[in-house]
Amino acid sequence: MADSMTTGAAERSDRPFSPLRFFGIWLALGAQSFGGGAATLALIRRAAVDQHHWATETEFVRDWALVQMAPGINLLGLVVLLGNRVGGAPAIALALTGLLLPSSLITALLTAVYATFAHHPLVTAALRGIVPATVGIGLVTAWQMARPLLRESRTEGAPSLAAGILILIGAALLYLRWERLSIVAILCGGGAAFALVRWIRHVRTPPVSQRLLSDTDEEPA
Amino acid sequence: MNPLPISWIFLKASLFSSGGTGNLPSLHADLLALHQATDRQFAEALTIGQIAPGPNGLWSVSLGYLTFGWPGAIIALIAVTLPPLLVLVVERLYRRVESHPAVEGFVRGLSLAIVGVFVIVMARLLVSSESTDLRALLIALIAAALAATRRIPIVVLILLAGLAGTLLYRP
Repeated sequence: MADSMTTGAAERSDRPFSPLRFFGIWLALGAQSFGGGAATLALIRRAAVDQHHWATETEFVRDWALVQMAPGINLLGLVVLLGNRVGGAPAIALALTGLLLPSSLITALLTAVYATFAHHPLVTAALRGIVPATVGIGLVTAWQMARPLLRESRTEGAPSLAAGILILIGAALLYLRWERLSIVAILCGGGAAFALVRWIRHVRTPPVSQRLLSDTDEEPA
Repeated sequence: MNPLPISWIFLKASLFSSGGTGNLPSLHADLLALHQATDRQFAEALTIGQIAPGPNGLWSVSLGYLTFGWPGAIIALIAVTLPPLLVLVVERLYRRVESHPAVEGFVRGLSLAIVGVFVIVMARLLVSSESTDLRALLIALIAAALAATRRIPIVVLILLAGLAGTLLYRP
């Protein structure tokens, strides 16, 4: 929503940067983000966009797209970009340390006790509940990522929206059908397709006077 | 163990990868060739990476621990933390060309494709597990509905799901 974006930016510039508080937020994220990457992404999104306004909904999605082009764990790239938004290199260090200290420690400790309890029936039973819940939460996160992108496409007219939906479904189907196709190729294909759509629209966009006349063709906002 | 070549194996795998498990093929090839890890250890590490907090990519830390103990875990952690910093370089390059509609379109198309693939990865996690039944689908649906409200902390959702699993699938 345009409203939440502007208030988000305003609140962000008003609030002074407190290193201790910032570090504490990431420590909490690192300690409670059980349930894998989808749960962690949902938690980070909630903290960064909804609670602390480090980034607007649109900025967050854009950051998330950028980290896909960087090597390694996408979530860590996202943490780097969010840290950089808030306070440059020191904030990046605080955010990474805060997130990784508890989570990697717990990961190593879990590994250490894993062998002992892995085959305990209660652990197996609990996991059978946790895995589908993670999937449900992940699907909601996917919707939250897609929504601002599709909304933005809708404001550009029906062809843009159709292209957006086609790329979304097309990428899913390609990935589903051809396991050997590299993910990078699918993602870049989606990017190239929309780049083409935007470029054609850019070339074809009539001058402002004509656009005003043809405004009646477009859906009311 | 000699820490230097092991560090390079972990760092290289992360540097030339995309996403949390993108380093798997490279690590698998290198460590198995050196007889430093087994298939079973890879499977265990991946599972723990799913359960443990933080990014799934921390499965490498679990693998590091399984293969070389605490030094291995620390090496793996450093190896997966450094490459994502390169996103700052990517961002700088991107800012220069951002205003062009084709570039903006590329990033949006890429993001939409990511969501599409993401949904399949998620759905597969549910479908590929042989323990999936109606109860599991119900848990997924309820978790999705509760997550959509944005009012309940994710960790509470996961705890509730674990409790539900314990009650539903108790042997």
